[in-house]
Amino acid sequence: MARLELDSVTKRFGEGDGSVLAVDDVDVDITDGEFLVLVGPSGCGKSTTLRMIAGLESITDGEIRLDGRRMNERGPAERDIAMVFQSYALYPHMTVRENMRFGLEESTDLDDDEMDRRVEDTAALLDITELLDRKPGALSGGQRQRVALGRAIVREPKAFLMDEPLSNLDAKLRSQMRTELQQLQADLDTTTVYVTHDQTEAMTMGDRIAILDGGELQQVATPLEAYHRPANRFVAGFIGEPSMNFVDCDVEGDTLVAEGFRYPLAEEAAAAVDESAAVTLGIRPEDVAVEIDGVPDGDHTFAATVDVVEPMGDENVVHLSIADGPELIATVDGLRQIEADATVAVTIPENAIHLFDGASGEAVHSRSLDDAELDGSRV
Amino acid sequence: MSADTGDESILDGIEAPRVALYAVLLAMVAFYLAPLESGLTTAFKTPDGFRTTTPFALPPAGEFTISAWGMAFERLSTGLLNSALMAVPATVLSALFGSLAAYGLTNLRWRGQIAVLVLFVSGVFIPYQAVLVPLTQFWSFVDLGGRIPLAFVAEHEGLLNLSITHVAYGIPICTVLFRSYYATIDDEMLEAARLDGASAATIYRRIILPLSVPIFAVTLIYQFTQIWNDLLFAIVLVSDPSNQVVTVALNQLQGSFVQQFNLQMAGAFVAALPTLVVYVLFGEQFAKGVAGDS
Repeated sequence: MARLELDSVTKRFGEGDGSVLAVDDVDVDITDGEFLVLVGPSGCGKSTTLRMIAGLESITDGEIRLDGRRMNERGPAERDIAMVFQSYALYPHMTVRENMRFGLEESTDLDDDEMDRRVEDTAALLDITELLDRKPGALSGGQRQRVALGRAIVREPKAFLMDEPLSNLDAKLRSQMRTELQQLQADLDTTTVYVTHDQTEAMTMGDRIAILDGGELQQVATPLEAYHRPANRFVAGFIGEPSMNFVDCDVEGDTLVAEGFRYPLAEEAAAAVDESAAVTLGIRPEDVAVEIDGVPDGDHTFAATVDVVEPMGDENVVHLSIADGPELIATVDGLRQIEADATVAVTIPENAIHLFDGASGEAVHSRSLDDAELDGSRV
Repeated sequence: MSADTGDESILDGIEAPRVALYAVLLAMVAFYLAPLESGLTTAFKTPDGFRTTTPFALPPAGEFTISAWGMAFERLSTGLLNSALMAVPATVLSALFGSLAAYGLTNLRWRGQIAVLVLFVSGVFIPYQAVLVPLTQFWSFVDLGGRIPLAFVAEHEGLLNLSITHVAYGIPICTVLFRSYYATIDDEMLEAARLDGASAATIYRRIILPLSVPIFAVTLIYQFTQIWNDLLFAIVLVSDPSNQVVTVALNQLQGSFVQQFNLQMAGAFVAALPTLVVYVLFGEQFAKGVAGDS
């Protein structure tokens, strides 16, 4: 259990002109017992960041501190950190028991009885006691996943690092393991850094999520904060499924204008955008109101046709085209009958819009929300 | 074989091209096995039997004998023992060193390893004939028997020289063989071991070595056959007759006045037997190693 600090951590692969900046000046402060999810598209530097914490990659610049002690020059074995790999990385010639004991034998001075006791306790915790004498080749994917977790837990390290540990599991097992991992982490209360490209995992598992893109940290926030108060257009588009709708607009007075689309802003939002600047309007699909056979009335309602309907059961994902204007995605209740080619009235509620600077992508206005809803998000 | 029995003739399903294919294959098998077969039949014939029949024919009545085998074994026994003394350690050591070098060059990261790897690979292409003279000069300079005052070393100096030479010249090809296998080992697994606190040496001993069994089988079979069958180094490096290895002894079965073909053939089989035994012993692991299983 420890506090883990990343202070201006930078990683550059190669030297001179051919070098690639993989991680650029990342600052994160992970408190004791926190579950932090590092999320981003592939190639964003999240795995490299994790490997630097583990000591498997050198740190070009900056500092990583565990409990206030500088880790940069320490080897992986000297950091008291355990890692769970995507491929599980079990030792194929050893039984589950030997796999779990290996780390204890190599990194501790425990006597045999104590090691056996720890292995058996951890196996019981993960419900893999009956697998202890089998080899990894005789285990299913889910069982291997548990053994890989057990191998990390048994060492009682200061921090867990997990590199997309669930991505090789099928969808059902994945959501089950997601819940279990969360519970386990809460019970063990061990600082955890979890890397994933899956925004659902990020949203559901993390105490906080750190969103990376192109090696740069975009935002560190609680899941709901990242969802409702995205720092920029990248975060807004990355978090949430289906993605937020974006409409690139120009500002004319206090009205957003795009081809076939005019959206007047209220005073507060209008104050946030500069006159004549380019602005991107963002709206979450669930905030787009769709009225079948409705007649557009009011400034924020538009006539649109339905292009495609994707029934998900609990909801329908509706792809819409505003007449001569932009395309939008809306989600509506699964029980509502809605057909392709239908004419509908689409409302973009004023209190749910996000505005991003057209050039930098920085958020200039977020949806209105009671801040209390964000703070009490996780218990 | 008639239609009214309800069974189809087994020949119905076979087409002409397939018949031709099998005929060609059988002919090739006969072509390649003929020398082996005639060698074997010759080894069981008396000299008279050999003169009066074609080499392929089985021994005629009264001309069958196993005396050539007994004599071949007797005359090769010292050579067989010397070869085993020389080839077994040379094989094991070159495989072990090759495995260690491949681990260092494949699974560990350090500066300049590509340059070292290039040296190893170029070692594979050194023709033995090109190094004969420097090699004999080297061993006369080293003078193992003179430097190490042990009776065993003095008695087996030629074999020791030969064995060490084979270890040295075997390391490059062993390294290349092991390297191709170690490149398939999961990097994440070795990283997990590092995080578990294992040093590079521990990772080799506890993870790499146990996983190397199939490729060790491949390398041991290959190296043993190479070293056992070598004649060139053996002729050049070993002068003492008591240190003579089996390939040299086999060469001397050729009489200067009378050619005893049955003795020569029996001797060839006796000399080749150990490589066959090694193949049978490690055959299953060999198949796994070639197939790339781990």
